Amino acid sequence: MDYDSLKEQWSDIEDRDGLRLSWNTFPASRMEASRLVVPLGALYTPLKEKTDLQPLPYEPVTCKTPCRAVLNPFCQVDMRARIWICPFCLQRNGLPPHYKDISENQIPPELHPGSTTIEYRLSRPAPTPPIFLFIVDTCQESDSLSALKDSIITSLDLLPPHALVGLITYGTMAQVHELGYTACAKSYVFRGNKDYTGKQVQEMLGLLSVPGAPRAGQPQQTQPGRPVQPMIAGAGQRFLLPVSQCEAQLTTALESLQKDPWPVANDRRSIRCTGAALAVATGLLETNFTNAGARIMLFTGGPCTEGPGMVVGPELKEQIRSHHDIDRDSVKYYKKALKFYDALSKRVAGNGHIVDIFAGCLDQVGLLEMKGLPNSTGGHMILTDSFTASMYKQSFAKIFDQDAEGNLAMGFNASLEVLTSKELKVTGLIGHAVSLNKKSTSVGETECGIGGTCSWKMPGIDPQASYGIYFEVASQTAPSASSVGGGPQKGLIQFLTYYQHSSGQYHLRVTTVGRNICSASGDPALAQSFDQEAAAVLMSRIAVFKAEVDDGPDVLRWVDRMLIRLCARFAEYRKDDPSSFRLEKNFTLYPQFMFHLRRSQFLQVFNNSPDETAFYRHVLNHEDVGNSLVMIQPTLDSYTFDQEGAIPVLLDSSSIQPQTILLLDSFFHILIFHGETMAEWRKAGYQEMEGYENFKEILEAPKEDARELIQDRFPLPRFIVCDAGGSQARFLLAKLNPSTTHTSAAGSGYGGVAQTAQTIFTDDVSLQTFMDHLMKLAVSGTS
Amino acid sequence: AQMGYQQPAYSDQTAQTPGQAYGQPQYGVQGGYQAPETSYPTQGAASMLQSGVSGITQQFGNMGFGSQAQAQPVQPPVAQQRLNPLQPVDISAQGQPFHVSDLDLPPPPIIIPPNASATPSPYANCPPKYVRSTLNAMPTTNSLLKKSKLPFALVIQPYATLHDAEDDVPVQTDQVIARCRRCRTYINPFVTFLDHSHRWRCNMCNLTNDVPQAFDWDNVKQQSADRWQRPELNYAVMEFVAPQEYMVRAPQPLLYLFLFDVSYASVTSGLLATAARCILESLDRIPNADRRTRLGFMAVDSSLHYFSIPRDESGVREASMLVVSDLDEPFLPTPDDLLVNLAECRTNIENFLAKLHSMFQNTQNGSSCMGSALRAGHKLISHVGGKMTVLSATLPNVGYGKLEPREDKKLLGTSKESSLLQTASGFYKSFAVECSKTQVSIDMFLFSANYQDVASLSNLPRYTGGQTYFYPAWNAARSEDAIKFATEFSDYLSSEIALEAVLRVRTTTGLRPSAFYGNFFNRSSDLCAFPAFPRDQAYVVEIAIDENINKQYVCLQAGVLHTTCNGERRIRVMTLSIPTTQSLADVYSSADQQAITVYFSHKAVERALSSGLDAARDALQAKIIELLQTYKKELAGGNMGGGGLQFPINMRGLPILFLGLIKNLGLRKSAQIPTDLRSAALCLLSTLPLPLLIQYVYPRLYSLHDMPDTAGLPDPSTGSIALPPALNLNSGNLVPFGLYLIDDGQTQFLWLGRDAVPALVADVFGVEDKNALKQGKMSVPVLESEFNERVRAVMEKSRDHRAKGCGSIIVPPVYLVREDGEPSLRLWAMTLLVEDRADQGVSAAQWIGMLREKVSL
Ligand SMILES: [Zn+2]
Ligand SMILES: [Zn+2]
Repeated sequence: MDYDSLKEQWSDIEDRDGLRLSWNTFPASRMEASRLVVPLGALYTPLKEKTDLQPLPYEPVTCKTPCRAVLNPFCQVDMRARIWICPFCLQRNGLPPHYKDISENQIPPELHPGSTTIEYRLSRPAPTPPIFLFIVDTCQESDSLSALKDSIITSLDLLPPHALVGLITYGTMAQVHELGYTACAKSYVFRGNKDYTGKQVQEMLGLLSVPGAPRAGQPQQTQPGRPVQPMIAGAGQRFLLPVSQCEAQLTTALESLQKDPWPVANDRRSIRCTGAALAVATGLLETNFTNAGARIMLFTGGPCTEGPGMVVGPELKEQIRSHHDIDRDSVKYYKKALKFYDALSKRVAGNGHIVDIFAGCLDQVGLLEMKGLPNSTGGHMILTDSFTASMYKQSFAKIFDQDAEGNLAMGFNASLEVLTSKELKVTGLIGHAVSLNKKSTSVGETECGIGGTCSWKMPGIDPQASYGIYFEVASQTAPSASSVGGGPQKGLIQFLTYYQHSSGQYHLRVTTVGRNICSASGDPALAQSFDQEAAAVLMSRIAVFKAEVDDGPDVLRWVDRMLIRLCARFAEYRKDDPSSFRLEKNFTLYPQFMFHLRRSQFLQVFNNSPDETAFYRHVLNHEDVGNSLVMIQPTLDSYTFDQEGAIPVLLDSSSIQPQTILLLDSFFHILIFHGETMAEWRKAGYQEMEGYENFKEILEAPKEDARELIQDRFPLPRFIVCDAGGSQARFLLAKLNPSTTHTSAAGSGYGGVAQTAQTIFTDDVSLQTFMDHLMKLAVSGTS
Repeated sequence: AQMGYQQPAYSDQTAQTPGQAYGQPQYGVQGGYQAPETSYPTQGAASMLQSGVSGITQQFGNMGFGSQAQAQPVQPPVAQQRLNPLQPVDISAQGQPFHVSDLDLPPPPIIIPPNASATPSPYANCPPKYVRSTLNAMPTTNSLLKKSKLPFALVIQPYATLHDAEDDVPVQTDQVIARCRRCRTYINPFVTFLDHSHRWRCNMCNLTNDVPQAFDWDNVKQQSADRWQRPELNYAVMEFVAPQEYMVRAPQPLLYLFLFDVSYASVTSGLLATAARCILESLDRIPNADRRTRLGFMAVDSSLHYFSIPRDESGVREASMLVVSDLDEPFLPTPDDLLVNLAECRTNIENFLAKLHSMFQNTQNGSSCMGSALRAGHKLISHVGGKMTVLSATLPNVGYGKLEPREDKKLLGTSKESSLLQTASGFYKSFAVECSKTQVSIDMFLFSANYQDVASLSNLPRYTGGQTYFYPAWNAARSEDAIKFATEFSDYLSSEIALEAVLRVRTTTGLRPSAFYGNFFNRSSDLCAFPAFPRDQAYVVEIAIDENINKQYVCLQAGVLHTTCNGERRIRVMTLSIPTTQSLADVYSSADQQAITVYFSHKAVERALSSGLDAARDALQAKIIELLQTYKKELAGGNMGGGGLQFPINMRGLPILFLGLIKNLGLRKSAQIPTDLRSAALCLLSTLPLPLLIQYVYPRLYSLHDMPDTAGLPDPSTGSIALPPALNLNSGNLVPFGLYLIDDGQTQFLWLGRDAVPALVADVFGVEDKNALKQGKMSVPVLESEFNERVRAVMEKSRDHRAKGCGSIIVPPVYLVREDGEPSLRLWAMTLLVEDRADQGVSAAQWIGMLREKVSL
């Protein structure tokens, strides 16, 4: 098969299974696998929206314990004996009685060859309707606060009426609003400078009976050795109520929110106890909502300046930490805050709850320290300048999108389990999840990402959420040539995703992957099966994962080394002759992806704030292959009078021309750039003049396309319109390949650069230089 | 020669008591007295009077209430100062024993030289209503004082009513305050003017001071004024409006922070609802003439509930509740709207109070973190100062100062009982001292049916100028309870308390205030600090004689620097002059037995709390024996004659008053008295104004069934209700067919004899069958019958504080006790019959017999 048909096939599989593999043929041995350089991995989107997928309204047929694999198209079924053989453990299982009518012409849907992905609606109901606990920062200017209030009030209509809602507000202190209390507005106030344990929170909210203080009228009957029982549904009746029941109360509470009343001196920041508020929220949900689907939605207008999780002191002269400060280890609060939020993340994730962070602030809010919360719970991060920004409003509203049935397009409390046939082992997962620490025969010896387990928990999961899952090959040696059944042997992977569907039932989605195992070493099928896009994304996730713990330069060296090794392994060349270097079609883009990855905000952090870095990396770890690639290597389209519509152009400074308009999509930014002439004409207002309709059209076209791009994007990208020479143009320039830097201005650049091309002032090497180096190193055979 | 008794117009002695003076022509004041009631000694109860009192030629009586100046001609001076003569009597039953009517007599007159004061004002010396000295003639030397074994102390009651309008004291408003440069004494009627009246000599330290230039100038009228009209030269009791230099800060507004117990006990007893409604209905009574009065509210169970009340004009109508359960270090949940201006938030305060009860009606919470609440409240108001008013029906069992139900019935009556009277937690004293420093005063209204540890809680008022009001087992379902509390609480709220006050006593050189008793904090050696100054308490200041006095009379000046509840800084000055003597006889003949009793009441409470009840009782007994012995040895020549027991007539009540003290609820030997009741009684014994304290020690007994025709009706001359003659407290005075009122000022008992005739029962209670009457707490029905009306009038008059010359909010509950009814009720009422033998206490006869025995040894 040629590359293009392979690509099409992979694309079909992605549509059907939400899955892309770095290698679509599995290596036969450990040795072989290690020589692939890029590990065997899958980028999997478990809840990928599939309009044709109707959940099966019955329980899945599973293999015996401990295997528990679900019946799938790769199973051998003896129709007559009504027996199936599990391809993972090779055990024989009887089909349940209601499958008695099975025959060649009448096979259950899960056995259809196309049913590599199937969903079951299980009989197990969700413990509670979905819970939405809003945490609102009141240390904000009134316009931002009122925009925020409006957005939350509006969102109430987007929730199913039975959804439970709660409200915590905070500033100097944290307040839990008792929405179930109607005699007057009532809230419980917690100190901002104290780290309350869950038990303390519950006790203080009156959700535990206080030991030693018997409640009047009913003398306490303490049974020795028995803990105090929480009051049944106490929190449910008082603090978390169905939106249909407490909408008025909640709306009133929100409407009457005022700016935090504690005075703030001119040279100080507001006292803001984000950490305490989050801890209180966590404690509140720990009452009797553990493992019930819940979103803690934090809306913060600034950094935490008080108590646990404090990221900066209240004095304005003290600036919030930068990457350099962290690098120098000179930040007073960083490690302590990180420790606090990480511990909290662990708790929240353990409880099965989600934390979303919405930041509306020109400065940083401490997302870097708090990132563990959304990272490990599958929450969202939205970073905006103010809650008045439409980017915030639209992104926030998008969270409540509904599926075709009118259910919220979000899942709760998911667990993803990976089963492998004996040739493969899972080494880890990179994405928004925590380990469930489940050992099985599928767990590999090495670790990549969150490893040492075959099962992960995702408190929050949505149709877009994608996870990088990595594998190793178990067999030390290649299997003896073709086994019993004839044909190539298949390696199998099954992904089992249990989750609380927002309709109120638990669902199970099963994706089963079978790929040929190449029989002999050096099988060309292996190289051909390389999906460079998936591979780039999977490698990016590893690089970012490493960057979280390792030094930046180390990670870059690792990226380079891996690239060189890959090229050395798969390129055609004569040793020590760079000019002989050739890559197969399905490898050609890979070096370029790595080039841009190296330069991207994911690994080059110093041009961004730590909060932005946390945000970018968070989003990268959530998106599928396509979106991730856009983040790594933005797309650039050009509009000129010469052609109809947009044409893709090189992400290179040479693409900047006076008579073009460029549309850059870096996923986070969508930018329209008017070349010098275009900008002049626009300023002169030609587009309004008769006879210049084509100019008007060409001005409108990129806007139209941008609108289309923004449509489905989450979070909403920042939209920038700028002109050549304008300050905003820096966003474009930062992304372009510096083919014409100030050091090579006169040079003959890559791809034939016109003299008019923009010169980029940067010390980054250009793609050409990069490639030159790469080829030289690859062919030298030193690596 | 007759000596002027110089403060007639201040005297509020009521006319209803039979005038039974000591019979010395020298100090009587002519005129204006009523004849004794005709029915007075008719019953057997008066047997003790059979010996009669010979030589009654003068009576004291009603000089009318208030200060309408009855122009009293000043008596011409005499060459030789004669003090009150010694009038020995045999106080044993065979002689002229104490009679209750002695207690209605004024103290022995203070006889000072006629020209002692700078003006001829009849009000130049301090009337006993405000200051009473235990000795109205003081020894010139400390050795004589020691020899006398008598205490020298002042009983000071700066305020005689809850409201200024009921007791006008002259005010000097021109802010010209002349004080001695050296001893800081305020200029007063006893200074002398020299040097053509340009200078004045201090009557305390003799320093000559310049008269201030503005002294003779009327600043308002801008013309010269007559200095001799200045109140400070005419009135021993007057007030200065203080200028700026008397303020450390601008006068604070009146501020009340209410701490409501909202635990199960409080809500179900109806306390929360009643208290909230009472405040709501009393909002107009809370002093707010300057429209600065601020109120705050907190509710307390196991959590602190703050209420943020919006201003009326904000358009927001609802208060919001902010709950704080973190008791480790209480904090304020918001900086605003927790203390609100009564005038500006009036409507929203009303809305809030109307709703408060419903906010907690379903509570199951049995805890109270009142200690933490107090700390939080302190945090809330300490920048202003003011009152924290605690209304609680629960033992504080969580949070700061949490207390244990430590009362052990087995300990009652034993030597270990005393430990229960001591505070269980250091918090209550240290916190109170902290409050005092920040001008925060605490009043405790306690309502529990169970042990509430009054002993510990009462420390809070004790050191902050507050008071403990105890309503054991109170329940709003009993209308008597509800009405009593609501009436008292409303009066409490209306009381014109002063703020940020200090009391200091200055004296003639050679004297020195040496000890202070009462509810306040002794900030420095002679400065008593009152974050709020109540109007229903009295204080005792003991005076030491450091140097021999060689003056004919000495002066003692009590000054209360305070902020009125209307934001004015003022000084209330009370100047008392008393003569000196080198004669022990003079000292004894001028001793004020009631003031002495008040002094020893405070001493006994102090002793009880420090060394125990036994020690306190023993000390009282030892002291009365010592006095009798001293008298016998030093003044009666060691000879008592005839086996009687001699004592000056003006002191003949002292042994019985001491017996009353020893038998009082607070001090009595008994295994039956719940600790909380005892502790509450000790609070009363150390705070009550003198008239109420004496009544508490020696209650009033009136026979109602045979009261004179004039009793229970307005007196034609004064318009006030006439009381029947009081009887001594012994059951021999009770006949089986009688109806009696026993009133100790805190409780009124209607005692119905076992043979009471149906007609009497019907006349008073509206039913003929006495067995059908509800015993215990009740109220006398309002009937058409004239007798019913008179009985109610007598009961009403008996608890009329103003008539007694003191302020109080107390409305004594009425208990109906049938002689043949509920035994525990009967026994309780009987404990008030001080002269009877009861429980572990001796009868008056036994007591006098024992004293005589000890003295004759
Ligand atoms: Zn199996
Ligand atoms: Zn002086």
